[in-house]
Amino acid sequence: MSAVISTIKLHLNQRRVTFIAPLSIAGTVAIISVLISLVFWRAGSQPGSAGWIQGSQSNPGIVYALVGFLIYAGVASVATTFPFALTLGATRRAFIAGTLLWDAITAAYIAIIFAVLNVIELATHHWGVGFYIFDIYVLGAGNTPRLLLIVFLGVLSALTIGGVFAAAWVRFGIRGPQVIAVGVIFVLGIAAIAIVPDAAAIIAAFQLWWLAIAAGVVIMVSSIGMWLLVRRAIVR
Amino acid sequence: MTSTVDIHSMTRRFGRSTAIDDISLTVAGGSICGLLGRNGAGKTTIMSIIAGQDRPTSGSVEVFGERPFENESILSKISFVRDNQRYPDNYRLHHVLRIAPDFAPEWSDDVAGELADEFRIPTQTPIKKFSRGQLSSVAIVLGLASRAPVTLFDEPYLGLDVTARVRFHDTLLRDYAIHPRTVLLSTHLIEESEALFDRVVIVDRGRIRVDSDSEHTGQLAFTLSGPSDAIDRLSAKRTILHSRSVSGLKSVTIQGLADADTSAEAVRLGARIAPATLPELVAAFGADTPETRDIKKGAVA
Amino acid sequence: MFTGESPIFQQLAAKIAGDIVAGTYPEETAVPSASDFAVFYTINPATASKGVNVLVERGVLYKKRGIGMFVATGARELLRDRRREEFRTHYIQPLLREATVLELGTAELHQMIDQPEQDQA
Repeated sequence: MSAVISTIKLHLNQRRVTFIAPLSIAGTVAIISVLISLVFWRAGSQPGSAGWIQGSQSNPGIVYALVGFLIYAGVASVATTFPFALTLGATRRAFIAGTLLWDAITAAYIAIIFAVLNVIELATHHWGVGFYIFDIYVLGAGNTPRLLLIVFLGVLSALTIGGVFAAAWVRFGIRGPQVIAVGVIFVLGIAAIAIVPDAAAIIAAFQLWWLAIAAGVVIMVSSIGMWLLVRRAIVR
Repeated sequence: MTSTVDIHSMTRRFGRSTAIDDISLTVAGGSICGLLGRNGAGKTTIMSIIAGQDRPTSGSVEVFGERPFENESILSKISFVRDNQRYPDNYRLHHVLRIAPDFAPEWSDDVAGELADEFRIPTQTPIKKFSRGQLSSVAIVLGLASRAPVTLFDEPYLGLDVTARVRFHDTLLRDYAIHPRTVLLSTHLIEESEALFDRVVIVDRGRIRVDSDSEHTGQLAFTLSGPSDAIDRLSAKRTILHSRSVSGLKSVTIQGLADADTSAEAVRLGARIAPATLPELVAAFGADTPETRDIKKGAVA
Repeated sequence: MFTGESPIFQQLAAKIAGDIVAGTYPEETAVPSASDFAVFYTINPATASKGVNVLVERGVLYKKRGIGMFVATGARELLRDRRREEFRTHYIQPLLREATVLELGTAELHQMIDQPEQDQA
């Protein structure tokens, strides 16, 4: 157990990466969003108008920017950290448990920060000037509990996906991630072939919680995959 | 004396190649043991398996009577930094020194701090940009400050300047006096580290060729050098480990202890005879001579 | 410091013995511990202990419990007698052998010993 906690501390060792980097990325994107809004404003769009709100809320830039970083963080949490963790004396078991717990801590941290900022955004009538940064469609359109869930599951998915790819690399070298990528494409292809005839009906019946289930499945599969790949991995 | 590391009939294959070929080795508690041999002989693999970073294809490894693989309590007693150790992205020295004590119950901040200063390890440079010598310094700091009951040094001298090498030996022996431990050290700088060892193991092609108290290594082989025909006569019917010749002059390393008759005969024929030094022994066992045979522990042929 | 000619523990024992004969460590005073010798000469601690123990067995050094190793009374005499015996085998006998090879007579040898300065020139 102590090695699990030590592994979490190992991941938290670079505090800047864990705590500051996601915020600075989100902050940068927020500033860019504001700049874009200003361009629209100067172009004649009126803050508060239906078109303005529609346009602002559809902008998922903040999500894209974070996903890239989070997948990198997920990869780094396994790829270069695994050999060092074993050198320090962690077991593979403790390393994976600690890594998954760190993933969850990071996801919760970002979700809570986003939720707080969302509440502030709503309370200040979108920062007093009609800027939509957190109150956007992909983050639940202002619904704070929903935002919490979306961000938590989203971050956790990105981190564990990065982790499982890195775990494949640790175990099998360069071929590992390639095999996973091919496998995923293959499964998605089969699924698409199976679903396409009923696509219209499925889209019509689409419920938001399906995504939550999908994220849950991705997280589960990635986590189990990480463990299975790393439990027999050796350091080279 | 109780054995701390116990390797029994261990083999490690990577695909079709055999890195470790059925070796058995026990290291007694409190020993400082030199693990010598050429590049690719299997030294790092042996250490890696002892440290639970790898595991044998067959056979067994025990440290303090237990298998180290995935064994948390045993792993906390072992320190092993490999010669090509990787560190997490963007790591600097202070990241390493902050987290290492969490995994090393006997960690000494004093040892770590003093050594890091004396080695002049940069504090602001990312480890990724360290020179070979600076990487070796970090590995030595981790190895010595952890005060692990089983400490494995894998080529600790790579790129290290002479001041740092002296400092490493000094700190090792000083700290050893207060906190005895079992040390396994692999190196090519044999002359410089030889006096540290009480035990010498020479590995070649995944097999143990020599396993001897360091006191007796001088009895394992001897060298003859002089005119080729004299050397040929003296070395007839003997096990030649290694030989080299240049225009009428020849030098051979012969297995076993030179008896008085051989010595007298050598002097009479104008050949120089001397016990093989440890570097000569390692070179001899790394040479590709078909006649080479293994010398078992304490054996005096 | 140490050569490959003989085991290091023997060389260490000889070195300490030499220091005792030379008066570096007077009788009934402490000598450095085996650990100190190990650090100072950068040699294996077990090897250093073995070297010190050689002198303990010869009665040159003795252990004061909890304090350390001390030079025994009469150790210097003991070592000097031994060294004198060794002087004969290590120096005089080879010297005489060499003298025979070089056809140097006893009288000439005596002269060389009586007037060493001449020969150094």
